[in-house]
Amino acid sequence: LRLTYSTTAVQRKNVGASGPEKYTEEFIKKQIEEFNLGKRHLANMMGEDPETFTQKDIDRAIAYLFPSGLFDKKARPMMKHPTEIFPEQRKIQWGEDGRPFHFLFYTGKQSYYSLMHETYEKLLNVEKYQDQLTAQDLPTQKEKSNLAGSRWLTKIELEEMLLEKLSDGDYSRFIQLLEKLAALPCGDIEEKYIQKFSKEVPVQLQKVVIEPLKYDERGVAFSTSTGSRKTARATAIVYDNGTGKITVNGIDVLHYFPVLQDREQLLFPFQFLDRVGKHDMVCTVSGGGRSAQAGAIRLASAKALRSFVTEKEVEFMRQAGLLTVDPRVKERKKPGQEGARRKFTWKKR
Amino acid sequence: RLTQVRWSRYNPSFLEPEVNKEFYQKPWEALSEEEKEKLELRAVQPIKAAPPSVSSSVFSDPMISKFTNMMMKDGNKVLARSLMAQTLEAIKRKQLEKYHKAPEDEKETIECNPYVIFHQALKNCQPIIGLSSITRGGKTYQVPVPLKDNRKRFLAMKWLITECRENKNRRMLMPEKLSQELLQAFNNEGPIIKKKHVLHKMAEANRAYAHFRWW
Repeated sequence: LRLTYSTTAVQRKNVGASGPEKYTEEFIKKQIEEFNLGKRHLANMMGEDPETFTQKDIDRAIAYLFPSGLFDKKARPMMKHPTEIFPEQRKIQWGEDGRPFHFLFYTGKQSYYSLMHETYEKLLNVEKYQDQLTAQDLPTQKEKSNLAGSRWLTKIELEEMLLEKLSDGDYSRFIQLLEKLAALPCGDIEEKYIQKFSKEVPVQLQKVVIEPLKYDERGVAFSTSTGSRKTARATAIVYDNGTGKITVNGIDVLHYFPVLQDREQLLFPFQFLDRVGKHDMVCTVSGGGRSAQAGAIRLASAKALRSFVTEKEVEFMRQAGLLTVDPRVKERKKPGQEGARRKFTWKKR
Repeated sequence: RLTQVRWSRYNPSFLEPEVNKEFYQKPWEALSEEEKEKLELRAVQPIKAAPPSVSSSVFSDPMISKFTNMMMKDGNKVLARSLMAQTLEAIKRKQLEKYHKAPEDEKETIECNPYVIFHQALKNCQPIIGLSSITRGGKTYQVPVPLKDNRKRFLAMKWLITECRENKNRRMLMPEKLSQELLQAFNNEGPIIKKKHVLHKMAEANRAYAHFRWW
């Protein structure tokens, strides 16, 4: 099972499934009217056109009129559309005579089970269609759908869609069914149904702008960039038409990094691009320890080399892990423990 | 489980980096279907940073780094690496001595490359089947169980290191003892190979309990 996470989706609580609705429909309608009226008043107050007053303008106006120094963004005064503030909740599931509307009400998770039934029905349809095609001896084609660009809904998002609490097992069963449906050769018929449960992953992760080369007085091309690792910060200037000399903080690399591993790390980007003896490098580094400084310079030199190299090679460097900032830092010590993970010696009495 | 107990600073969607240069030099048409899919996936997902022990040069070998890490004590990677280098040098010297002393026809059979010797020795030390203790009805039985590749490699390396640390003379240094053990393992002799055979015999003896395994 390939489960993908997104930081914001995981943190939200599912309020929708907590119980039947606390707010009646008329209450919500009144709130919407009041909101629209208040929006026009606010636009008037700010001197802007009430017709073209967007949510962003509302946020700006409220932040201006009610400045708050509170840390939690959700604790500050806000004015949003009532559907965002009052979460969607399940309506009462039974009529006046006490008889429930849905036939699966007594299962406890009616929407989940009805969803599973629907999905399975689609699966059977697809299989029937496949059998028809093979009976008529027509080829069963499959277009390559982009698996890389989409992900399934997370458990929280599915719960919000169904307005019911789900367990981990339920969620995984549903995802298994969906994947089975998507994997069938003629699954394209139910494409629309599957798309309801899949989301686009932002394909291009932050297009980084590659700086153009600069030329110094001698006419030699060079490029500068910074890198960091743990607490070490480094800046590297990579010159073209060089002999492979590397200078760190004014000291030759052999004297500054006596350990072979660090020098290997410094040469890694150059060796990867087959440009070992072609560039000169001058770097400054501070903070961190021996290995952290080496890692910081490695990152800085890899970033600087981007300007000398084609886009494809930049992509190769990224896939080799040369251009990512290493997020691992020293874990904090917790109270009640001796270190980050080590607990105090357990004494029986 | 859907939620992990061990966590890492990376988002779970980050993939492992591929450091090998040849992987990137293959032309587009020569790839199989699976590899093309894998490439497409890698083009979209973010990638973790390469660890400091890994580099794309010919001298870095994942097996050797793993072994060095296991030999390391108190985080002293410098010492462990130098010991490893001295071991490989010692192996090369011994093999060269043998090479120069051997008659003409045997010269081709003698292997001089210490990396090849290391890999072959580890492979010879790996057990095929292991024992796992399962408790049934109060009694604990040693049940023969197939091992995964990772576990085999780990056991071979662990046996090598413990053997070298414990069964050596007071004066002998680690590189020398290690090179001795590796050469013996390369020729399928020595205490580690014996340990492996003992384990196999125990597994064969406990064959009757093999049905206790449920996985």
